[in-house]
Amino acid sequence: MASYGKLTRHQSRTAYLFITPTMLLFLVFTVVPVVMASYLSFTNYDVLSRMKWVGLENYRRLADDSLYWTTFKNVAYYTIVFVPLNILLSLGLALLLNYRRPGVRLFRTFSYMPTLTSAVAAATVWVWLLHPEYGLVNTLLGYAGVTGPAWLAQTETAMMSIILVTLWQSIGSNMIIYIAGLQGVPDYLYESAKLDGATAIDRFRYITWPQLRPTTFLVSTMSIIGALQLFDQAFVLTQGGPGNVTKTPVYLIYQQGFNQLQMGYASAQAFVLAVAILIFSMINMRMNKSEEPVV
Amino acid sequence: MRKWISLFAVAGLATTVAAGCGNGNDNGNAPEGSPSASSSAPGTAAASASAAPSKSTGKAVELTFWGDWSGEGQKQFQTMVDAFNKSQDRIRVKYVLQQDMITKFLTAATSGGSPDILFWDRWRTSLYAPKKVLHPVDDFLAKDGLSKDDFYGEALKELTYDGKLYGLPLTVDARALFYNKKLLADAGVSAPPTTWQELEDAAVKTTKWDGNKLQVAGFSLGDNGLFNMYLQQAGGTMLTEDGKTNFNGDQGKAVLAYWDRLMNQDKVYKIGFEKGLGESTDAFATGKLAMTYTGPWMLTTYKKYGKDLDFGVVPPPAGPNGDKGSVMGGFGLVIPEGSKHQQEAWEFVKWWTANKDNALLWAKTSLNIPGFKPAIEDPFFKDDPFWQPFLETLEFAKIRPQHPGYSVMETDALIPNLELFQQKKQNADDTLKKAQQQGDKMLQDNASVK
Repeated sequence: MASYGKLTRHQSRTAYLFITPTMLLFLVFTVVPVVMASYLSFTNYDVLSRMKWVGLENYRRLADDSLYWTTFKNVAYYTIVFVPLNILLSLGLALLLNYRRPGVRLFRTFSYMPTLTSAVAAATVWVWLLHPEYGLVNTLLGYAGVTGPAWLAQTETAMMSIILVTLWQSIGSNMIIYIAGLQGVPDYLYESAKLDGATAIDRFRYITWPQLRPTTFLVSTMSIIGALQLFDQAFVLTQGGPGNVTKTPVYLIYQQGFNQLQMGYASAQAFVLAVAILIFSMINMRMNKSEEPVV
Repeated sequence: MRKWISLFAVAGLATTVAAGCGNGNDNGNAPEGSPSASSSAPGTAAASASAAPSKSTGKAVELTFWGDWSGEGQKQFQTMVDAFNKSQDRIRVKYVLQQDMITKFLTAATSGGSPDILFWDRWRTSLYAPKKVLHPVDDFLAKDGLSKDDFYGEALKELTYDGKLYGLPLTVDARALFYNKKLLADAGVSAPPTTWQELEDAAVKTTKWDGNKLQVAGFSLGDNGLFNMYLQQAGGTMLTEDGKTNFNGDQGKAVLAYWDRLMNQDKVYKIGFEKGLGESTDAFATGKLAMTYTGPWMLTTYKKYGKDLDFGVVPPPAGPNGDKGSVMGGFGLVIPEGSKHQQEAWEFVKWWTANKDNALLWAKTSLNIPGFKPAIEDPFFKDDPFWQPFLETLEFAKIRPQHPGYSVMETDALIPNLELFQQKKQNADDTLKKAQQQGDKMLQDNASVK
């Protein structure tokens, strides 16, 4: 018994030793800054000359900041459209490319390619493709006799365009995750289901989808966080216009903090965003946890 | 303790934000990771308000000059720095390229490692001067007997806060009307427009539609940020003396009515027409746009097209009551409070910006109009058909209002409402009223800088 305890102690010591570097980095670069930022959100910190406690002043101003809530509405809309489409398309693509057939790897690579491109570079190319007069999209529509809109410049289509461009760029990596998930589903489940006469739709509904629940949870959580922090593609594609319909909270946080030197207020904005992300993630967790996967 | 907290806090916020910013650097707008990296020995911050001129000990004083121009711009800076270093042997200046200069300066200004000279977008002065991170140059100016009249007054005004001058102007620019001579001649317009009415007529004549496709736009309405300029031409101003918006009135309505006519009745432009067209497909350069407002920085690009693009430049057309208007911008050189060699830094600034020969060398190297007026008397500017209209424009051009919240008001309140107006989502009265309400609030929220 004594030797067993000694072994455990030794093992746990080694374990702590191994996680120490990561935990130290996590502490220095995540925990400490987060605590500091929460402190700053109660001050009028401006980086250069002042850091006085102002109590709830920043949060009071935030409640009254209509533009900040507009940007929240924008990303909420973006999230609600983007996340389900993201799951649907990447799962669909993964189902298509999950077979061992010649050429399938080529298609997997092609589908993954947009993910490898830099977000800003890809967005710049899309600005070109979506040009109202000379862009490829409207030229193709023109052959079909349709006059396409000014995709990025019109209030009706600007957010939709951003959703489509970001989808194009993100489904590749999620497809890979789903393919890995699909290959983890045990074959005997399908075999026995087939013996019992289950159709392809039944097999998907009662085997694939429940088995993929942990994968879906991962994919949806990551895309929710990414969606609420939307910044670079939106900035390159539309610069927040037209009429503020594509401005995002991160854009405002950056502007208030680094351009206007109101780091205290920017910290308050960042905290509200963090809480929003937390809430969305919790809702997502509830939805995914409601049924336990069957094995 | 305070410094320590600040550094970590900046790092913290930067990491939070950087997560969302990703590769935004291409726009010069995103932080480059954690800016706290430049922290160095504590205790070297600010404080040296009365920088005693260092005695000549025989060894040259090393100065650091920060700027965010890379590529061609970096070579142009280097030319000037080399020329200065060659001209004397007491001071050695080194140009350091900082892609993300302002963010770097934020930490450097308070934690030591501050540069001695800073390349400065002048409109930032009203935000940074109250924070006491820039060193006033009035005393230097008086001691060396430099006359303020030798510089563009508006540019000096932009570098002034609370009666103190914080630097000298390096370049000045303003927008003027570029027109495609061939397109105007083909449409039977004999002379470039000088009034709003003539501009409208010329735009109508040069516009070409093919069904639903706009082939040639007569005049560009793509930049709503030029509202300020049109408002001046209509006889108005953006802000009142006490820092409130001032465009919701007859002059503002006149501008919107003019835009509405051009866009919706005359149909000389289409929303999004120029969006995403890079240099190689620039609508004006490729003959798809007959007239546009832009600045001297486009001259080099357009001249490259040689005889394929026969263009001219005229000062902005005058408004209905003959008022002229354009917005002056440009760069200056400032000396941070954290510099340990302010006297030497001043000598470099003076050598570059307040000496006719050097200002001219800079102008010819970089193709910019210098802020030092005697240099502009040179035939290089006076007798050139492309530079001359800009010099004329600069005579009446005004800087943006010196309010620390002005740019926020313009980009987040005014321009979004103007976009909705252009797309016929709201009428002129609502547009101006909403822009005023939202704008006044933003001005107020961003006013306190002390």
